[in-house]
Amino acid sequence: MMMEFLSLFTDAERRSGPPRFLCVIPVVFLSLAPLASGTQPAAATLPRASDGKPDLSGIWQVLNTADWNIQDHQAQPGVPAGQGVVEGNEIPYQPWAVAKRKENFENRAVADPLAKCHLPGVPRITYTPLPFQIFQAPKQTTVLYEYAHANRVIYTNGSKHPDGRIDWWLGDSRGHWEGDTLVVDLVDFNDQTWFDRAGNFHSDELHVVERYTLIDRDHIQYEATIEDAKVFTRPWKMGMVLYRRKEKKIQLLEFECYGFEYEKYYP
Amino acid sequence: MRIRFRAVLPVLPSMVLIMALIPAPASAQGTPRAAAAWTPAHASDGQPDVQGFWEAEIGGTYSLVNPRRGGGRLEELLREKKGLPPIVKPSRIVDPPDGKVPYLPWAAAKQNDLLDHIDTPIKPEYVDPQARCLPDGVIRATFWSPFQIQQFPGYVVIVYEQNHPYRIIPLDGRPHIAESIKLWMGDSRGHWEGNTLVVDVTSNNSKARLDNEGDFASDAVHIVERYTFTDANTFLYEATLEDPSVYTKPWKISARMVRAHRKEPDYELWEDACHEGEHNVEIQTSPNEQRSDEKR
Repeated sequence: MMMEFLSLFTDAERRSGPPRFLCVIPVVFLSLAPLASGTQPAAATLPRASDGKPDLSGIWQVLNTADWNIQDHQAQPGVPAGQGVVEGNEIPYQPWAVAKRKENFENRAVADPLAKCHLPGVPRITYTPLPFQIFQAPKQTTVLYEYAHANRVIYTNGSKHPDGRIDWWLGDSRGHWEGDTLVVDLVDFNDQTWFDRAGNFHSDELHVVERYTLIDRDHIQYEATIEDAKVFTRPWKMGMVLYRRKEKKIQLLEFECYGFEYEKYYP
Repeated sequence: MRIRFRAVLPVLPSMVLIMALIPAPASAQGTPRAAAAWTPAHASDGQPDVQGFWEAEIGGTYSLVNPRRGGGRLEELLREKKGLPPIVKPSRIVDPPDGKVPYLPWAAAKQNDLLDHIDTPIKPEYVDPQARCLPDGVIRATFWSPFQIQQFPGYVVIVYEQNHPYRIIPLDGRPHIAESIKLWMGDSRGHWEGNTLVVDVTSNNSKARLDNEGDFASDAVHIVERYTFTDANTFLYEATLEDPSVYTKPWKISARMVRAHRKEPDYELWEDACHEGEHNVEIQTSPNEQRSDEKR
Protein backbone atom coordinates (compact mmCIF):
# COMPACT_ATOMS: atom_id res chain seq x y z
CA MET A 1 0.00 0.00 0.00
CA MET A 2 2.70 2.38 1.04
CA MET A 3 4.73 1.55 -2.04
CA GLU A 4 1.87 2.46 -4.29
CA PHE A 5 1.68 5.93 -2.86
CA LEU A 6 5.43 6.26 -3.11
CA SER A 7 5.53 5.12 -6.69
CA LEU A 8 2.89 7.65 -7.60
CA PHE A 9 5.35 10.36 -6.78
CA THR A 10 8.48 8.91 -8.23
CA ASP A 11 8.01 10.82 -11.45
CA ALA A 12 6.92 13.94 -9.61
CA GLU A 13 10.11 14.05 -7.64
CA ARG A 14 12.22 13.64 -10.71
CA ARG A 15 10.56 16.63 -12.27
CA SER A 16 10.64 19.17 -9.48
CA GLY A 17 12.95 17.65 -6.94
CA PRO A 18 11.26 18.58 -3.66
CA PRO A 19 12.36 16.49 -0.69
CA ARG A 20 10.52 13.21 -0.73
CA PHE A 21 8.96 13.57 2.72
CA LEU A 22 7.23 16.79 1.65
CA CYS A 23 5.30 14.89 -1.00
CA VAL A 24 4.64 11.62 0.62
CA ILE A 25 3.48 12.39 4.11
CA PRO A 26 0.50 14.56 3.23
CA VAL A 27 -0.54 12.27 0.41
CA VAL A 28 -0.68 9.18 2.58
CA PHE A 29 -2.77 11.04 5.06
CA LEU A 30 -5.17 12.39 2.50
CA SER A 31 -5.48 9.14 0.65
CA LEU A 32 -6.50 7.34 3.80
CA ALA A 33 -9.04 10.01 4.68
CA PRO A 34 -11.88 8.61 2.54
CA LEU A 35 -11.38 5.19 4.06
CA ALA A 36 -11.61 6.60 7.56
CA SER A 37 -14.80 8.48 6.74
CA GLY A 38 -16.64 5.33 5.81
CA THR A 39 -16.50 5.39 2.01
CA GLN A 40 -14.36 2.31 1.66
CA PRO A 41 -15.05 0.71 -1.70
CA ALA A 42 -17.31 -2.27 -1.48
CA ALA A 43 -14.84 -4.16 -3.64
CA ALA A 44 -16.93 -7.27 -4.01
CA THR A 45 -19.99 -5.48 -5.37
CA LEU A 46 -18.34 -3.07 -7.80
CA PRO A 47 -19.26 -3.49 -11.45
CA ARG A 48 -16.30 -5.05 -13.20
CA ALA A 49 -15.09 -5.11 -16.80
CA SER A 50 -14.17 -8.30 -18.64
CA ASP A 51 -10.57 -7.96 -17.45
CA GLY A 52 -11.64 -7.78 -13.80
CA LYS A 53 -10.96 -4.05 -13.40
CA PRO A 54 -13.66 -1.87 -11.88
CA ASP A 55 -15.90 -0.75 -14.76
CA LEU A 56 -15.91 3.04 -14.96
CA SER A 57 -18.06 3.05 -18.10
CA GLY A 58 -20.98 5.41 -18.08
CA ILE A 59 -22.01 9.04 -18.06
CA TRP A 60 -20.67 11.08 -15.15
CA GLN A 61 -20.89 14.62 -13.91
CA VAL A 62 -19.83 16.62 -10.87
CA LEU A 63 -22.27 18.27 -8.50
CA ASN A 64 -20.08 21.10 -7.30
CA THR A 65 -19.01 24.66 -8.06
CA ALA A 66 -15.34 23.96 -8.77
CA ASP A 67 -15.56 25.36 -12.29
CA TRP A 68 -16.35 28.77 -10.79
CA ASN A 69 -13.73 28.52 -8.07
CA ILE A 70 -11.85 25.50 -6.80
CA GLN A 71 -11.41 27.22 -3.42
CA ASP A 72 -14.00 28.17 -0.79
CA HIS A 73 -16.12 31.02 -2.10
CA GLN A 74 -19.34 32.79 -1.34
CA ALA A 75 -22.11 33.52 -3.79
CA GLN A 76 -21.91 36.38 -6.27
CA PRO A 77 -24.21 37.27 -9.14
CA GLY A 78 -24.12 34.23 -11.42
CA VAL A 79 -21.80 32.33 -9.11
CA PRO A 80 -23.17 29.79 -6.64
CA ALA A 81 -21.44 29.58 -3.26
CA GLY A 82 -19.30 26.55 -2.75
CA GLN A 83 -16.89 24.79 -0.51
CA GLY A 84 -13.53 24.32 -2.14
CA VAL A 85 -12.26 21.08 -3.64
CA VAL A 86 -8.61 21.82 -2.83
CA GLU A 87 -7.28 19.79 0.08
CA GLY A 88 -6.66 22.29 2.86
CA ASN A 89 -8.13 25.01 0.60
CA GLU A 90 -4.78 26.80 0.15
CA ILE A 91 -2.98 26.70 -3.21
CA PRO A 92 0.78 27.01 -2.62
CA TYR A 93 1.58 29.71 -5.19
CA GLN A 94 5.06 31.15 -5.45
CA PRO A 95 5.07 34.87 -4.58
CA TRP A 96 5.06 36.08 -8.21
CA ALA A 97 2.20 33.72 -9.00
CA VAL A 98 0.01 35.18 -6.24
CA ALA A 99 0.09 38.48 -8.11
CA LYS A 100 -0.61 36.78 -11.44
CA ARG A 101 -3.57 34.92 -10.00
CA LYS A 102 -4.97 38.21 -8.65
CA GLU A 103 -4.62 39.79 -12.08
CA ASN A 104 -6.36 36.81 -13.67
CA PHE A 105 -9.19 37.11 -11.15
CA GLU A 106 -9.73 40.77 -11.96
CA ASN A 107 -9.80 40.08 -15.71
CA ARG A 108 -11.66 36.78 -15.48
CA ALA A 109 -14.73 37.82 -17.46
CA VAL A 110 -12.71 37.98 -20.68
CA ALA A 111 -9.43 36.32 -19.76
CA ASP A 112 -10.85 32.97 -18.71
CA PRO A 113 -9.95 30.60 -21.56
CA LEU A 114 -13.46 29.18 -21.40
CA ALA A 115 -14.85 32.61 -22.22
CA LYS A 116 -13.24 31.96 -25.63
CA CYS A 117 -14.46 28.38 -25.64
CA HIS A 118 -10.94 27.01 -25.57
CA LEU A 119 -10.35 23.46 -24.39
CA PRO A 120 -10.38 23.56 -20.58
CA GLY A 121 -7.32 21.46 -19.73
CA VAL A 122 -7.23 18.67 -17.19
CA PRO A 123 -8.52 18.42 -14.48
CA ARG A 124 -10.88 21.33 -15.27
CA ILE A 125 -12.55 19.39 -18.09
CA THR A 126 -13.71 16.90 -15.44
CA TYR A 127 -15.58 19.50 -13.37
CA THR A 128 -16.76 21.74 -16.18
CA PRO A 129 -20.38 21.30 -15.15
CA LEU A 130 -21.35 19.20 -18.16
CA PRO A 131 -21.60 15.42 -18.43
CA PHE A 132 -18.90 13.23 -19.92
CA GLN A 133 -18.87 9.56 -20.90
CA ILE A 134 -16.19 7.00 -20.10
CA PHE A 135 -15.70 4.08 -22.49
CA GLN A 136 -13.37 1.58 -20.90
CA ALA A 137 -11.39 -1.14 -22.61
CA PRO A 138 -8.34 -3.02 -21.33
CA LYS A 139 -5.74 -1.15 -23.39
CA GLN A 140 -7.32 2.25 -23.73
CA THR A 141 -10.06 4.20 -22.04
CA THR A 142 -11.74 6.89 -24.09
CA VAL A 143 -13.33 9.85 -22.36
CA LEU A 144 -15.75 11.94 -24.42
CA TYR A 145 -16.90 15.28 -23.03
CA GLU A 146 -20.05 17.17 -23.91
CA TYR A 147 -17.98 20.38 -23.82
CA ALA A 148 -17.07 21.20 -27.44
CA HIS A 149 -16.58 17.56 -28.46
CA ALA A 150 -13.46 17.47 -26.28
CA ASN A 151 -12.10 13.97 -26.04
CA ARG A 152 -9.03 12.16 -24.87
CA VAL A 153 -7.68 8.67 -24.82
CA ILE A 154 -6.11 7.32 -21.64
CA TYR A 155 -3.66 4.67 -22.85
CA THR A 156 -3.40 1.76 -20.39
CA ASN A 157 -1.23 -0.43 -22.62
CA GLY A 158 2.01 0.29 -20.80
CA SER A 159 3.08 2.95 -23.29
CA LYS A 160 4.98 5.98 -22.10
CA HIS A 161 4.48 9.67 -22.78
CA PRO A 162 5.68 10.57 -26.28
CA ASP A 163 9.18 11.91 -26.71
CA GLY A 164 9.68 15.59 -26.88
CA ARG A 165 7.96 18.55 -25.44
CA ILE A 166 4.43 18.89 -26.78
CA ASP A 167 1.96 21.69 -26.07
CA TRP A 168 -1.47 20.19 -25.77
CA TRP A 169 -4.61 21.65 -24.23
CA LEU A 170 -5.60 18.38 -22.60
CA GLY A 171 -2.08 16.99 -22.13
CA ASP A 172 -1.00 13.43 -22.73
CA SER A 173 -2.73 10.76 -20.63
CA ARG A 174 -1.07 7.45 -19.70
CA GLY A 175 -2.86 5.28 -17.20
CA HIS A 176 -2.33 2.21 -15.09
CA TRP A 177 -4.27 0.43 -12.38
CA GLU A 178 -3.17 0.45 -8.76
CA GLY A 179 -5.50 -2.08 -7.22
CA ASP A 180 -8.99 -0.84 -8.02
CA THR A 181 -7.88 2.71 -8.81
CA LEU A 182 -7.21 3.98 -12.33
CA VAL A 183 -4.19 6.27 -12.03
CA VAL A 184 -3.55 8.62 -14.95
CA ASP A 185 -0.31 10.53 -15.42
CA LEU A 186 -0.51 13.66 -17.59
CA VAL A 187 2.22 15.91 -18.99
CA ASP A 188 2.70 17.94 -22.19
CA PHE A 189 0.28 20.72 -21.32
CA ASN A 190 0.37 24.26 -22.67
CA ASP A 191 0.20 27.26 -20.33
CA GLN A 192 -3.09 28.54 -21.72
CA THR A 193 -5.66 26.90 -19.46
CA TRP A 194 -6.91 27.81 -15.98
CA PHE A 195 -8.18 25.61 -13.18
CA ASP A 196 -11.39 27.65 -12.80
CA ARG A 197 -13.11 30.92 -13.66
CA ALA A 198 -11.41 32.55 -10.65
CA GLY A 199 -8.04 32.70 -12.40
CA ASN A 200 -6.20 29.85 -10.71
CA PHE A 201 -3.53 28.89 -13.21
CA HIS A 202 -0.45 26.86 -14.07
CA SER A 203 2.46 26.88 -16.51
CA ASP A 204 3.47 24.46 -19.26
CA GLU A 205 5.41 22.53 -16.62
CA LEU A 206 2.10 21.22 -15.29
CA HIS A 207 2.13 17.59 -14.23
CA VAL A 208 -1.19 16.08 -13.18
CA VAL A 209 -1.90 12.69 -11.63
CA GLU A 210 -5.56 11.74 -11.65
CA ARG A 211 -7.02 8.92 -9.58
CA TYR A 212 -10.41 7.42 -10.42
CA THR A 213 -11.74 5.11 -7.68
CA LEU A 214 -15.21 3.62 -7.89
CA ILE A 215 -16.80 4.07 -4.44
CA ASP A 216 -19.90 2.15 -5.42
CA ARG A 217 -21.79 1.50 -8.64
CA ASP A 218 -22.80 5.13 -9.12
CA HIS A 219 -20.00 7.20 -7.56
CA ILE A 220 -16.35 7.76 -8.41
CA GLN A 221 -13.92 9.36 -5.97
CA TYR A 222 -11.86 11.61 -8.25
CA GLU A 223 -8.57 13.12 -7.19
CA ALA A 224 -6.04 15.19 -9.05
CA THR A 225 -2.57 15.97 -7.79
CA ILE A 226 -1.13 19.13 -9.28
CA GLU A 227 2.56 19.77 -9.62
CA ASP A 228 4.21 22.72 -11.37
CA ALA A 229 7.61 23.85 -10.18
CA LYS A 230 7.32 27.13 -12.11
CA VAL A 231 4.18 28.23 -10.27
CA PHE A 232 3.78 26.36 -6.98
CA THR A 233 6.06 25.75 -3.99
CA ARG A 234 4.87 22.14 -3.59
CA PRO A 235 2.43 19.66 -5.13
CA TRP A 236 -1.18 20.04 -4.06
CA LYS A 237 -4.32 18.09 -4.52
CA MET A 238 -8.01 18.43 -5.23
CA GLY A 239 -10.73 15.85 -4.77
CA MET A 240 -14.41 15.48 -5.57
CA VAL A 241 -17.10 12.94 -6.28
CA LEU A 242 -18.30 12.11 -9.79
CA TYR A 243 -21.95 11.13 -9.97
CA ARG A 244 -23.42 8.71 -12.47
CA ARG A 245 -26.21 10.27 -14.51
CA LYS A 246 -29.06 7.84 -14.02
CA GLU A 247 -31.83 9.36 -16.13
CA LYS A 248 -33.26 6.76 -18.46
CA LYS A 249 -32.81 8.97 -21.52
CA ILE A 250 -29.43 10.43 -20.58
CA GLN A 251 -26.92 10.81 -23.39
CA LEU A 252 -24.28 13.36 -24.26
CA LEU A 253 -25.58 16.27 -26.31
CA GLU A 254 -23.40 19.13 -27.57
CA PHE A 255 -22.04 22.36 -26.16
CA GLU A 256 -20.31 23.75 -29.23
CA CYS A 257 -19.58 27.10 -27.60
CA TYR A 258 -17.24 28.41 -30.30
CA GLY A 259 -20.06 28.05 -32.80
CA PHE A 260 -22.59 30.23 -31.01
CA GLU A 261 -21.40 33.51 -32.50
CA TYR A 262 -21.38 32.09 -36.04
CA GLU A 263 -24.65 30.18 -36.04
CA LYS A 264 -26.55 33.17 -37.39
CA TYR A 265 -24.57 32.97 -40.63
CA TYR A 266 -25.57 29.36 -41.21
CA PRO A 267 -29.35 29.20 -40.77
CA MET B 1 -2.10 22.69 -37.34
CA ARG B 2 0.13 19.67 -37.22
CA ILE B 3 -2.51 17.27 -38.41
CA ARG B 4 -3.81 19.66 -40.99
CA PHE B 5 -0.44 19.50 -42.73
CA ARG B 6 -0.20 15.79 -42.21
CA ALA B 7 -3.59 15.28 -43.76
CA VAL B 8 -3.13 17.51 -46.78
CA LEU B 9 0.48 17.23 -47.81
CA PRO B 10 0.71 13.53 -48.59
CA VAL B 11 -2.25 13.84 -50.88
CA LEU B 12 -0.66 16.08 -53.47
CA PRO B 13 2.05 13.73 -54.72
CA SER B 14 -0.06 10.64 -54.27
CA MET B 15 -3.06 11.91 -56.14
CA VAL B 16 -1.89 10.99 -59.60
CA LEU B 17 -0.77 7.63 -58.28
CA ILE B 18 -4.18 6.99 -56.79
CA MET B 19 -5.75 7.91 -60.09
CA ALA B 20 -3.57 5.44 -61.91
CA LEU B 21 -3.85 2.54 -59.50
CA ILE B 22 -7.51 2.72 -58.80
CA PRO B 23 -9.72 2.64 -61.80
CA ALA B 24 -13.11 4.10 -61.04
CA PRO B 25 -13.76 2.00 -57.95
CA ALA B 26 -16.48 -0.19 -59.26
CA SER B 27 -17.48 -1.40 -55.84
CA ALA B 28 -17.99 2.18 -54.75
CA GLN B 29 -20.29 2.86 -57.61
CA GLY B 30 -22.71 0.03 -57.30
CA THR B 31 -24.02 -2.41 -54.78
CA PRO B 32 -21.96 -3.81 -51.89
CA ARG B 33 -19.88 -6.81 -52.72
CA ALA B 34 -20.89 -10.06 -51.11
CA ALA B 35 -20.32 -9.17 -47.48
CA ALA B 36 -20.87 -12.73 -46.27
CA ALA B 37 -17.52 -13.76 -47.73
CA TRP B 38 -15.66 -12.22 -44.81
CA THR B 39 -15.92 -13.67 -41.33
CA PRO B 40 -14.75 -11.12 -38.81
CA ALA B 41 -13.78 -11.67 -35.22
CA HIS B 42 -16.60 -10.76 -32.89
CA ALA B 43 -16.54 -8.66 -29.76
CA SER B 44 -18.03 -9.94 -26.50
CA ASP B 45 -21.36 -8.30 -27.29
CA GLY B 46 -21.46 -9.97 -30.71
CA GLN B 47 -20.42 -6.99 -32.84
CA PRO B 48 -18.10 -7.71 -35.76
CA ASP B 49 -14.74 -6.34 -34.64
CA VAL B 50 -13.92 -3.47 -37.02
CA GLN B 51 -11.88 -1.34 -34.68
CA GLY B 52 -9.04 0.80 -35.86
CA PHE B 53 -8.21 3.71 -38.13
CA TRP B 54 -10.00 4.12 -41.45
CA GLU B 55 -10.10 6.70 -44.21
CA ALA B 56 -11.69 7.27 -47.58
CA GLU B 57 -9.73 5.77 -50.46
CA ILE B 58 -10.32 9.04 -52.28
CA GLY B 59 -10.39 11.56 -49.46
CA GLY B 60 -11.12 15.22 -49.25
CA THR B 61 -14.24 17.28 -48.81
CA TYR B 62 -13.73 19.89 -51.48
CA SER B 63 -16.42 18.50 -53.76
CA LEU B 64 -18.98 15.73 -53.87
CA VAL B 65 -19.18 15.56 -57.65
CA ASN B 66 -15.41 15.62 -58.24
CA PRO B 67 -13.96 14.37 -54.95
CA ARG B 68 -10.66 15.93 -53.93
CA ARG B 69 -9.02 17.92 -51.19
CA GLY B 70 -8.55 21.67 -50.99
CA GLY B 71 -4.91 20.96 -51.69
CA GLY B 72 -6.02 19.23 -54.86
CA ARG B 73 -7.58 22.50 -55.95
CA LEU B 74 -4.22 24.23 -55.78
CA GLU B 75 -2.84 21.57 -58.08
CA GLU B 76 -5.83 22.10 -60.30
CA LEU B 77 -5.15 25.81 -60.66
CA LEU B 78 -1.55 25.02 -61.57
CA ARG B 79 -2.74 22.61 -64.24
CA GLU B 80 -5.09 25.26 -65.57
CA LYS B 81 -2.18 27.72 -65.81
CA LYS B 82 -0.17 25.15 -67.73
CA GLY B 83 -3.09 24.52 -70.07
CA LEU B 84 -3.53 20.91 -68.95
CA PRO B 85 -6.98 19.34 -68.82
CA PRO B 86 -8.64 19.15 -65.37
CA ILE B 87 -8.50 15.95 -63.35
CA VAL B 88 -11.97 14.55 -62.98
CA LYS B 89 -12.85 11.80 -60.55
CA PRO B 90 -16.08 9.87 -60.27
CA SER B 91 -18.79 11.59 -58.30
CA ARG B 92 -19.46 10.28 -54.81
CA ILE B 93 -23.13 10.56 -55.67
CA VAL B 94 -24.34 7.24 -57.07
CA ASP B 95 -28.05 7.96 -57.05
CA PRO B 96 -29.36 9.76 -59.02
CA PRO B 97 -27.24 8.29 -61.84
CA ASP B 98 -26.15 11.71 -63.14
CA GLY B 99 -24.02 12.08 -60.03
CA LYS B 100 -25.56 15.39 -59.01
CA VAL B 101 -27.50 16.53 -55.97
CA PRO B 102 -31.21 16.67 -56.95
CA TYR B 103 -31.89 20.15 -55.64
CA LEU B 104 -35.20 21.94 -55.75
CA PRO B 105 -34.83 25.09 -57.89
CA TRP B 106 -34.41 27.51 -54.95
CA ALA B 107 -31.81 25.22 -53.41
CA ALA B 108 -29.87 24.91 -56.67
CA ALA B 109 -29.75 28.69 -56.83
CA LYS B 110 -28.45 28.91 -53.29
CA GLN B 111 -25.76 26.32 -53.91
CA ASN B 112 -24.69 28.13 -57.08
CA ASP B 113 -24.41 31.38 -55.16
CA LEU B 114 -22.23 29.74 -52.50
CA LEU B 115 -20.11 28.13 -55.22
CA ASP B 116 -19.70 31.46 -57.02
CA HIS B 117 -18.22 32.98 -53.86
CA ILE B 118 -15.97 30.11 -52.98
CA ASP B 119 -12.84 32.25 -53.42
CA THR B 120 -14.48 35.57 -52.66
CA PRO B 121 -16.23 35.26 -49.30
CA ILE B 122 -17.48 38.84 -49.27
CA LYS B 123 -20.04 38.06 -46.56
CA PRO B 124 -19.60 35.88 -43.46
CA GLU B 125 -22.25 33.55 -44.85
CA TYR B 126 -19.90 32.60 -47.67
CA VAL B 127 -17.16 31.38 -45.33
CA ASP B 128 -17.26 27.63 -45.19
CA PRO B 129 -18.04 26.69 -41.56
CA GLN B 130 -15.22 24.17 -41.76
CA ALA B 131 -12.77 27.07 -42.03
CA ARG B 132 -14.06 28.26 -38.66
CA CYS B 133 -13.34 24.82 -37.18
CA LEU B 134 -17.03 24.11 -36.75
CA PRO B 135 -17.95 20.43 -36.78
CA ASP B 136 -18.41 18.97 -40.25
CA GLY B 137 -21.55 16.93 -39.68
CA VAL B 138 -21.62 13.17 -40.08
CA ILE B 139 -21.01 12.83 -43.82
CA ARG B 140 -18.34 15.42 -44.41
CA ALA B 141 -16.37 14.37 -41.32
CA THR B 142 -16.13 10.89 -42.82
CA PHE B 143 -14.11 12.22 -45.74
CA TRP B 144 -11.97 14.97 -44.22
CA SER B 145 -9.48 12.97 -42.20
CA PRO B 146 -8.82 9.46 -40.96
CA PHE B 147 -11.02 8.39 -38.09
CA GLN B 148 -10.87 5.73 -35.43
CA ILE B 149 -13.69 3.27 -34.93
CA GLN B 150 -13.80 2.11 -31.33
CA GLN B 151 -16.23 -0.53 -30.09
CA PHE B 152 -17.55 -1.05 -26.60
CA PRO B 153 -20.40 -3.23 -25.34
CA GLY B 154 -23.53 -1.72 -26.87
CA TYR B 155 -21.74 1.13 -28.63
CA VAL B 156 -19.76 2.13 -31.67
CA VAL B 157 -17.72 5.29 -31.11
CA ILE B 158 -16.13 7.18 -33.99
CA VAL B 159 -13.45 9.77 -33.24
CA TYR B 160 -12.31 11.87 -36.20
CA GLU B 161 -8.70 13.01 -36.28
CA GLN B 162 -9.21 16.49 -37.60
CA ASN B 163 -10.84 19.05 -35.30
CA HIS B 164 -11.63 16.31 -32.74
CA PRO B 165 -15.35 15.74 -33.28
CA TYR B 166 -16.73 12.37 -32.25
CA ARG B 167 -19.92 10.37 -32.53
CA ILE B 168 -21.47 8.01 -30.04
CA ILE B 169 -23.64 5.40 -31.74
CA PRO B 170 -25.76 3.39 -29.28
CA LEU B 171 -26.79 -0.05 -30.53
CA ASP B 172 -29.47 -0.82 -27.94
CA GLY B 173 -32.45 0.30 -29.99
CA ARG B 174 -33.30 3.30 -27.84
CA PRO B 175 -35.42 5.99 -29.52
CA HIS B 176 -33.90 9.17 -30.96
CA ILE B 177 -33.82 12.37 -28.92
CA ALA B 178 -36.44 14.97 -29.76
CA GLU B 179 -35.99 16.28 -33.31
CA SER B 180 -36.20 19.82 -31.84
CA ILE B 181 -32.76 19.36 -30.27
CA LYS B 182 -30.38 20.06 -33.14
CA LEU B 183 -26.78 18.89 -33.08
CA TRP B 184 -23.77 19.58 -35.30
CA MET B 185 -23.00 15.85 -35.44
CA GLY B 186 -26.62 14.70 -35.34
CA ASP B 187 -28.21 12.02 -33.18
CA SER B 188 -27.10 8.52 -34.20
CA ARG B 189 -28.75 5.16 -33.58
CA GLY B 190 -27.14 2.03 -34.96
CA HIS B 191 -27.65 -1.65 -35.44
CA TRP B 192 -25.72 -4.44 -37.17
CA GLU B 193 -27.13 -6.36 -40.14
CA GLY B 194 -24.50 -9.06 -40.53
CA ASN B 195 -21.28 -7.19 -41.38
CA THR B 196 -23.13 -3.96 -42.08
CA LEU B 197 -23.47 -1.24 -39.48
CA VAL B 198 -26.63 0.73 -40.22
CA VAL B 199 -26.84 4.16 -38.59
CA ASP B 200 -29.93 6.34 -38.55
CA VAL B 201 -29.10 10.02 -38.03
CA THR B 202 -31.62 12.68 -37.05
CA SER B 203 -31.48 16.06 -35.26
CA ASN B 204 -28.83 17.33 -37.71
CA ASN B 205 -28.48 21.10 -37.40
CA SER B 206 -27.03 21.04 -40.94
CA LYS B 207 -25.08 24.23 -40.34
CA ALA B 208 -22.05 22.51 -41.76
CA ARG B 209 -21.88 22.31 -45.56
CA LEU B 210 -21.49 18.98 -47.31
CA ASP B 211 -18.38 20.22 -49.13
CA ASN B 212 -16.52 23.43 -50.04
CA GLU B 213 -18.68 23.88 -53.11
CA GLY B 214 -21.71 24.91 -51.09
CA ASP B 215 -23.67 21.68 -51.17
CA PHE B 216 -26.03 21.64 -48.23
CA ALA B 217 -29.00 20.09 -46.44
CA SER B 218 -31.57 21.63 -44.12
CA ASP B 219 -32.06 20.80 -40.47
CA ALA B 220 -34.92 18.53 -41.53
CA VAL B 221 -32.55 16.11 -43.24
CA HIS B 222 -32.72 12.45 -42.36
CA ILE B 223 -29.57 10.48 -43.04
CA VAL B 224 -29.17 6.72 -43.14
CA GLU B 225 -25.60 5.45 -43.29
CA ARG B 226 -24.48 1.94 -44.10
CA TYR B 227 -20.95 0.74 -43.26
CA THR B 228 -20.55 -2.57 -45.08
CA PHE B 229 -17.34 -4.35 -44.09
CA THR B 230 -16.21 -6.51 -46.98
CA ASP B 231 -12.87 -7.71 -45.66
CA ALA B 232 -10.46 -6.92 -42.84
CA ASN B 233 -9.20 -3.79 -44.57
CA THR B 234 -12.10 -2.43 -46.58
CA PHE B 235 -15.60 -1.19 -46.14
CA LEU B 236 -18.16 0.47 -48.32
CA TYR B 237 -19.63 3.68 -46.95
CA GLU B 238 -23.07 4.62 -48.19
CA ALA B 239 -25.30 7.43 -47.02
CA THR B 240 -28.78 8.33 -48.14
CA LEU B 241 -30.05 11.86 -47.55
CA GLU B 242 -33.74 12.56 -47.46
CA ASP B 243 -34.91 16.16 -47.14
CA PRO B 244 -38.02 17.13 -49.15
CA SER B 245 -37.53 20.79 -48.22
CA VAL B 246 -34.28 20.88 -50.25
CA TYR B 247 -34.19 17.92 -52.66
CA THR B 248 -36.62 16.59 -55.24
CA LYS B 249 -35.92 13.02 -54.05
CA PRO B 250 -33.62 11.12 -51.71
CA TRP B 251 -30.06 10.78 -52.98
CA LYS B 252 -27.14 8.62 -52.11
CA ILE B 253 -23.36 8.78 -51.85
CA SER B 254 -21.04 5.81 -51.84
CA ALA B 255 -17.30 5.45 -51.32
CA ARG B 256 -14.72 2.81 -50.60
CA MET B 257 -12.98 3.15 -47.26
CA VAL B 258 -9.64 1.58 -46.35
CA ARG B 259 -7.48 1.12 -43.29
CA ALA B 260 -5.45 4.21 -42.38
CA HIS B 261 -1.97 4.34 -40.82
CA ARG B 262 -1.38 0.72 -41.79
CA LYS B 263 2.37 1.09 -41.61
CA GLU B 264 2.21 2.60 -38.13
CA PRO B 265 0.87 -0.11 -35.81
CA ASP B 266 1.46 2.11 -32.77
CA TYR B 267 -0.30 5.11 -34.28
CA GLU B 268 -2.27 7.03 -31.65
CA LEU B 269 -5.06 9.54 -31.76
CA TRP B 270 -3.48 12.84 -30.72
CA GLU B 271 -5.08 16.12 -29.85
CA ASP B 272 -6.00 18.35 -32.77
CA ALA B 273 -7.17 21.63 -31.32
CA CYS B 274 -8.56 23.65 -34.22
CA HIS B 275 -10.64 26.54 -32.95
CA GLU B 276 -7.90 27.45 -30.50
CA GLY B 277 -5.55 29.70 -32.45
CA GLU B 278 -7.39 29.33 -35.73
CA HIS B 279 -6.61 32.13 -38.20
CA ASN B 280 -7.78 30.70 -41.53
CA VAL B 281 -10.80 32.95 -41.72
CA GLU B 282 -8.84 36.11 -40.91
CA ILE B 283 -6.39 35.19 -43.64
CA GLN B 284 -9.17 34.43 -46.05
CA THR B 285 -11.09 37.64 -45.43
CA SER B 286 -8.26 40.11 -44.85
CA PRO B 287 -7.56 42.10 -48.05
CA ASN B 288 -3.97 42.90 -47.09
CA GLU B 289 -3.01 39.49 -45.86
CA GLN B 290 -0.58 37.61 -48.03
CA ARG B 291 -1.82 34.09 -48.19
CA SER B 292 0.76 31.42 -47.92
CA ASP B 293 0.90 27.85 -46.85
CA GLU B 294 3.41 28.77 -44.16
CA LYS B 295 0.87 31.02 -42.52
CA ARG B 296 -1.76 28.39 -42.51
